[in-house]
Amino acid sequence: MEQIASHPAAGQKKALPGDFAIWIFIYAELLVFGIFFLAYAYTRAQHVELFNTYQQHLNRESGAINTLVLITSSYFVVMAVAAIRRGAAGHCTRWLILAVLSGSVFVWIKLAEFAAKHAEGITLSTNTFYMFYLSLTFFHFMHVLMGMVILSVVALKAYRGAYNAQEHTGVETGASYWHMVDLVWIILFPLVYVLH
Amino acid sequence: MSEVFTKSMARNIYYGGSVFFILLFLALTFDTSSEVPKRDNHEAITEQVALGKKVWEENDCIGCHTLLGEGAYFAPELGNVYKRFGNSTDAIVGFIKSRPVEGIPGRRSMPQFNLSDEELQAVAEFLKYTSEIDTSNWPPNIQG
Amino acid sequence: MKYQSQAVAKPYFIAAIGLFVGQILFGLVMGLQYVMGDFLFPEIPFNVARMVHTNLLIVWLLFGFMGAAYFLVPEETEHELHSPLLAKVLFWVFLVAGALTVLGYLLVPYARLAELTMNDLLPTMGREFLEQPTITKIGIVVVALGFLYNIGVTILAGRKTVVSMVLLTGLVGLAVMFLFSFYNPINVVDDKFYWWWVVHLWVEGVWELILASILAFVLIKVTGVDREVIEKWMYVIIAMALISGIIGTGHHYYWIGAPEYWQWWGSIFSALEPIPFFMMTVFAFNMVNRRRREHPNKAAVLWALGTAVMAFLGAGVWGFLHTLAPVNYYTHGSQITAAHGHMAFYGAYVMIVLTIISYAMPILRGQEAADPRAQVLEMWSFWLMTVSMVFITLFLTGAGVLQVWLQRFTDNPQPFMVVQEKIEVFYWLREAAGLVFLLGLILYVAAFFVKGGERVMASNAVADTA
Repeated sequence: MEQIASHPAAGQKKALPGDFAIWIFIYAELLVFGIFFLAYAYTRAQHVELFNTYQQHLNRESGAINTLVLITSSYFVVMAVAAIRRGAAGHCTRWLILAVLSGSVFVWIKLAEFAAKHAEGITLSTNTFYMFYLSLTFFHFMHVLMGMVILSVVALKAYRGAYNAQEHTGVETGASYWHMVDLVWIILFPLVYVLH
Repeated sequence: MSEVFTKSMARNIYYGGSVFFILLFLALTFDTSSEVPKRDNHEAITEQVALGKKVWEENDCIGCHTLLGEGAYFAPELGNVYKRFGNSTDAIVGFIKSRPVEGIPGRRSMPQFNLSDEELQAVAEFLKYTSEIDTSNWPPNIQG
Repeated sequence: MKYQSQAVAKPYFIAAIGLFVGQILFGLVMGLQYVMGDFLFPEIPFNVARMVHTNLLIVWLLFGFMGAAYFLVPEETEHELHSPLLAKVLFWVFLVAGALTVLGYLLVPYARLAELTMNDLLPTMGREFLEQPTITKIGIVVVALGFLYNIGVTILAGRKTVVSMVLLTGLVGLAVMFLFSFYNPINVVDDKFYWWWVVHLWVEGVWELILASILAFVLIKVTGVDREVIEKWMYVIIAMALISGIIGTGHHYYWIGAPEYWQWWGSIFSALEPIPFFMMTVFAFNMVNRRRREHPNKAAVLWALGTAVMAFLGAGVWGFLHTLAPVNYYTHGSQITAAHGHMAFYGAYVMIVLTIISYAMPILRGQEAADPRAQVLEMWSFWLMTVSMVFITLFLTGAGVLQVWLQRFTDNPQPFMVVQEKIEVFYWLREAAGLVFLLGLILYVAAFFVKGGERVMASNAVADTA
């Protein structure tokens, strides 16, 4: 509360951090993932055996590591936002770079996972479980790449001094998107990799 | 309460979102192109089938019929007509050949296209080929 | 008219309306052939009438889009059109090519037309909506290139507004996607897969950009709402349209031999396709409610709002009805498809072209708005055409539901032609609704010939009389 009170723009309490436009996008994306998850749950209920069998073949360790990586990156992003709210653009830039680097760790681990599946000859058409596994993880994977592009742009702008304690909507916008990507993975990982 | 909603962010979402989904669509297309040969019955494509497709197109059959559900809805589905006609290309040839020039009074009628025997055989073979494409079990029954 | 060169739009609009009349007449012929199978047989068989009906639709909408571009681009860019002469030349080239093609359909058997136009060299004919001889297709590309050059150079030279930029991307996309009409492999699965890159990515992709930019332009003009507000909402709406529509192409890949995952991808994304249309409806009404001026052209406002509502109903609601794979398994290629096609095309694209014509035509004829009496007639035509289209859609939906039930869903499926006879009553009703549509169209044309008493330029005068 104190922080908000000391915030220069305390008078204008905002409903959502960042630009409203990104929230329309975020809602749309959450809707897509939401429908996808429901479709997964429904189909799984129809084919419990199949799903349980092939779930065993997924690399749960890499999935778990990636979960930690993404949560860590979200923490970096939170720190970046906190930094710019203090007006510390340099710190903000560094936290964002760390977040992008964690994102790229996720990407490397994920690519290794895809490569292993590819080497086994597994595709979208192998069976319904792999269809969902590959569709969901690849769709999410593209979101991670997109998020990294956004955070990189924001980091570059922060480095060039485009943001300050008063005006930093861009940082909050990028952060909101990245948290969405993280949130989706936090649901996706247990749902597809773990839950029996 | 003042919400920030800028035109430049809306623009970024338009361009970024479009590029994102175009890339995703291309990725799925790429996968499709490697998967389609397992389902498309391309082994059955012969010179005769190619001629059959040409006859099919140059008489605008799609202007009345559907083929795998696409086309006009004036006349029966032909994607499975080979099977509906008892797995017989002769039956298809016989049907096309016997259409009355002046039509059937009061009823829908297929025109008499005056196709040569070669063309008739070819279009029948073309329809045999399409009936063996893996369409995920569509149409729901033999009536199309 | 703020810029002299806007005048080139006028012949485009007149041609569009003329071809529209032709399209409807052939629609009525087909509607009659549905119930009187031997009507005009063998002179004009159904497939010929259908080619004329659908091709005229596409061509007149293209005339409308081009006219819209020639009208709004100079005003948006605050710059005269690069070459009015080129626009006039291309108009005649396109009109003559279009007329020759339609005459070709009507006067010689299609196979003979294929022979005459040397289809063998590059076979592209005989696919739904792409029936045009290859030479005509090449002509379309040439006209499109000339048109894009003209519009593009004008935009580059002048003020770059969101409206004109989005319009330009839509038009470029239209031309680029059309190139897939030249790809016609023997393999039916590949043929169909890429055929949709023209058809779907037109109507549920780039054409939506054209629709949105024309709608935004008219709303800016008639409501006086701040351009910034309209433009940013337009961005959000077209972003949603592309996000859902591009992968939404998958709803055409369920049963044509493409991999089965398209049933999931297609269903999920096309389930979202109504959203941008719904946003467009809310947006259009919001802007009109927040209007800062009373524009004397009431008819144009009505068309604009009508477009938003009918596009949502036709493309959004009727599309969603049968887009999910388990439903589509039964409805694919039935009269349900026809019902959706009619209302979606009318609601989204016919109405947006009539909107810009309604707004622009009085200005091109030297008035801010048409005489109030002409506007009343035009609004009558709006309601007659729109309501009869709603009924055409409802009757076709009725026909489709019965067809699906009798032919595909019951335990004893019946043959196609047997079912067609059983649902005949719906086709009669549809034809009757079609006649009402024609009546509306006649009134629409007549509204252009209503002689105004005194020229009314001041907004207030019309507001009082209307």
